[in-house]
Amino acid sequence: MQALGKMKWLWIALAIVVMIALPQIVTSSFAIDIFIRILLFSFIGVAWNLMGGYAKQLSLGHAAYFGLGAYTSTIMQVNYGISPWIGMMAGGVAAMLASLPIGWLCFRLRGPYFTIATIATAQVLMLVFLKFRDFAWGAEGTTVPNLGSAPLMMQFEEKSSYYYVVLGLLAVGLWVTHRIEKSWMGYYLVAIGEDEDAAEAIGVNAPKVKRDIYMLSAFLTALAGTFYTQYIYFIDPATAFSFNVSIEAALVSIVGGIGTLWGPVIGTVLLETTSALLQSWLGSSVGGIQLTVYSLILMAVILWRPTGLIGFATDLYHRYARRKPAHA
Amino acid sequence: MWETLAQAVINGLLIGGIYALVSIGVTLIFGVVKIVNFAQGEFVMIGMYISFFLATQFGIDPLVSLAVSMPVLFLAGVLIQHFLIRRVLGPNDMPQIFLTFALSLLLLNLSLMFFTANYRTVHTSYSDEALHFGGLYIPVAKLIAFAVAMGLSGLLWVFLHTTDLGKAMRAASQNRDVAMLMGINPNRVFAVAFGTALALAGAAGSLLMPFYSAYPFVGQVFVLMAFVAVVMGTLGNVAGALVASLMMGVAESLGIQFVGADSGLIVVFALLLLTLAFKPSGLGARRGR
Repeated sequence: MQALGKMKWLWIALAIVVMIALPQIVTSSFAIDIFIRILLFSFIGVAWNLMGGYAKQLSLGHAAYFGLGAYTSTIMQVNYGISPWIGMMAGGVAAMLASLPIGWLCFRLRGPYFTIATIATAQVLMLVFLKFRDFAWGAEGTTVPNLGSAPLMMQFEEKSSYYYVVLGLLAVGLWVTHRIEKSWMGYYLVAIGEDEDAAEAIGVNAPKVKRDIYMLSAFLTALAGTFYTQYIYFIDPATAFSFNVSIEAALVSIVGGIGTLWGPVIGTVLLETTSALLQSWLGSSVGGIQLTVYSLILMAVILWRPTGLIGFATDLYHRYARRKPAHA
Repeated sequence: MWETLAQAVINGLLIGGIYALVSIGVTLIFGVVKIVNFAQGEFVMIGMYISFFLATQFGIDPLVSLAVSMPVLFLAGVLIQHFLIRRVLGPNDMPQIFLTFALSLLLLNLSLMFFTANYRTVHTSYSDEALHFGGLYIPVAKLIAFAVAMGLSGLLWVFLHTTDLGKAMRAASQNRDVAMLMGINPNRVFAVAFGTALALAGAAGSLLMPFYSAYPFVGQVFVLMAFVAVVMGTLGNVAGALVASLMMGVAESLGIQFVGADSGLIVVFALLLLTLAFKPSGLGARRGR
């Protein structure tokens, strides 16, 4: 057991070294762009998975927090010259605060109707930011002023620097998830996900647990919003509150393995790689092809492997591992 | 002032009839099969494209193409229920939500690939006709759509209350286990419910075609409205969904008239949030429950 524990740390150390070295070895900016997308959506997936995966509160409205994070930091930067590093934290706090009333409303519904209510909240926020032009530029959006190399303003000349920022975010997300998995909170979440009434019957304070995890999930998602705006130097309501962000957050977790630490990462690697390959084969001329393929993958996973790729890999491993001693 | 108000209410009621067809379908599936069909709006879109192609290729009036879009979508519903939905029925929410959601994404993006994002319109002889009552103005195409929508809703009511199959569907929605013990075949009932719901969505699509553009995302407009109406009208309650849909239509229209052209949806969502805050069981909930 201890040997396995040591092996685990060795693997993690190796993975860290590879991840840090990667943009130095593969320097094509097309490839780094794909790596950044993979890391970013893994991180959003990890944030979604905390609530959607462990507690099975299947939100399709996480774009609300992505957008709030993006807008908070951008408004602070463009209008008041405050660094997006501070804006990022402020955006996280804004998202946490927003999650309280949103959660209060949406958690009154369960199952599919919770999902619908979350879609509605993200749409409302998008409409609000479209409508109020005075403090948020309305539908045209705005570009983030390009300061060249300004690490204190979260602007870099090298793409690889963005890579390290989002790698750091993902590491934080995975660490938080890992800590929660091993805590009472994690067990409460899984209990709620399995059967909310039964969990309450044995003394889990479900409304409080759901509220807390929703705040944490919203906070992390907002950080991704700030990062994305800084990375593409542009913000408008349609990108910040894009339904596709909500979709992808849920999709990567389900395809990879819902309610598992590494599920969202594995799901994102598969989906984003597929998307990148499709784009290089077909070009971006064929609209809709990416989501067509995503939806087919999602259907296949749901119909044949509801536990996702992680579950598939575990099944294979057990089959192989069980057979091995028999042969020895 | 009063004329503007009356005109806004009329406009809202007319489009509310179309919302009703979509939301009755959603609530029927929820009541009987106990799943939420996220793809309902995409079937409205398919209904519109069916009417569009029949009109442009064969010159068939969209109202006549109801006779094609409804049976085609009924059949599609039976097949989808049989081959897809049946496999995920159970206590677990996740596969149900994301299977129909994936179906919605798939249909939407397939139509984006094949039909492109262009807006398609059909111009009929009555598209520009309107009735005038004093200062009030009633477009004929919308009036026909509303009348047919109400007629279909009435037919559904008769079907649910007078035929054996309809009664079996109501029984299954009230208590599935007891209904099965009484010898009701759940697969047959589920397939008919799903097919009927999709046929209603297809009808909505055909009825919209004389005055509304078809494009791949068109279903999203209607499905959001339907979800709001279904929550407000109490899940699974057909009459509640009908009344709530008409209310949504009026609320949206008043929002457009008095708050601003882009605020129809804000008013509708505000209604949803108010419902959730003060009467989460919906307006159609029975007392003492």
